[in-house]
Amino acid sequence: MLRLALKRSLRLGPAVSDTPSAAVASRGYHERVVDHYNNPRNVGSFDKEDANVGTGLVGAPACGDVMKLQIKVDEDSGKIVDACFKTFGCGSAIASSSVATEWVKGKQMEEVLTIKNTEIAKHLSLPPVKLHCSMLAEDAIKAAVKDYELKKAKGAPKQE
Amino acid sequence: MWNRRKHLLLSSLSLLRHISSTSHLPRLHPLKPSPLLSPSNSFLPPVDSQLRNNLLLELPLRGFPRNLSSSNSCSFCWNCGVVGPTSGVFLACGSCGAVQPVDASVDYFQIFGMKKIYEIEEGDLEGIYKDWQKKLHPDLVHSKSEKEKGFAAEQSARVIDAYRTLKNPLSRALYLLKLEQIHVDEEKTVSDPDLLMEMMEMREAVEEAKDTQSLNEIQSKVKKKLDSWSKSFKEAFNKQDFGSAVNCTQRMKYYERALEEITKKL
Repeated sequence: MLRLALKRSLRLGPAVSDTPSAAVASRGYHERVVDHYNNPRNVGSFDKEDANVGTGLVGAPACGDVMKLQIKVDEDSGKIVDACFKTFGCGSAIASSSVATEWVKGKQMEEVLTIKNTEIAKHLSLPPVKLHCSMLAEDAIKAAVKDYELKKAKGAPKQE
Repeated sequence: MWNRRKHLLLSSLSLLRHISSTSHLPRLHPLKPSPLLSPSNSFLPPVDSQLRNNLLLELPLRGFPRNLSSSNSCSFCWNCGVVGPTSGVFLACGSCGAVQPVDASVDYFQIFGMKKIYEIEEGDLEGIYKDWQKKLHPDLVHSKSEKEKGFAAEQSARVIDAYRTLKNPLSRALYLLKLEQIHVDEEKTVSDPDLLMEMMEMREAVEEAKDTQSLNEIQSKVKKKLDSWSKSFKEAFNKQDFGSAVNCTQRMKYYERALEEITKKL
């Protein structure tokens, strides 16, 4: 029901009664977006207070979307070992954040800062009207990294 | 009716001749052309309405009663030639009933005869809306010309848009900002942690709510917040503090989204 409401509200896809596969075949959400919507990867939450967790919280006021992306960093190597997300928004926003969590895993923090929204949008074949969803995901990654680094900076003086 | 039309045509054409012969422009009142101009004695060939409208629209008219609908200053009915009203909007002719073409400079508040303020009488909207549709609805022009059918479709659609925009507080707020030429960058992301945490928790609560009662509780809390931010918008807008006004609309958007989700669940 939610899926139908989603399609109806976004006026994407030919008719409300179409099955998902038919909608995918004709002009509508790209199959990758539908896949991420139906089988979301890495939905969840880490403990915000954990020193190794960076939390990025961003929002798009124009559509009332909220996106939370969290990364778990290995403090010795600076590598992101795990990531999760929680997004309230349209299918494109959910898919963008899902893709973001997949792409940051196993990468260095400096590396993930180079992930561009255009790459996410291309991967999901987002239409122009949904480009801001991928922008939201890029901002969420940057916010999560920034949060982790701030935490680390605050934590360091205590250890000395 | 034909005599009145002919009289108007004659008067307007005489006026034109008067203008071309003098360098300065006359003061005009839309409903009283006769005292200013002497009716021409010569027989003038009938002017087609298109040409007449073009000629008239090029006349800069001064000394006009500047009211809410100043855009109607030189509106003539395309069908019967009667002058449009000096107050109120000219969507349908008061004389022959013909639906007029859409005038995009008329804003939604003018269509409903309301001041351009946030705190309008929402209860009045429906009555005025229905009154307009009694005159403009496409079903009423079933047997009329293609031209008038087109006007009715567009005019009726515009009134519907106006009604919907003004009825919902958030869309009304955003429309007011638009009229003030305040451009809101729709693509900008916000990272105000307090705002986002609140919204996140609110949406999570909606998602996790297990029964109707808890949903109703959340709904009333969110409605209260929406009302209070709605009041804040009114204050900010009236003070012309557009930065705060935009902030208020952003919050209102989040609360509206939450209410939509609650409604879906209920």
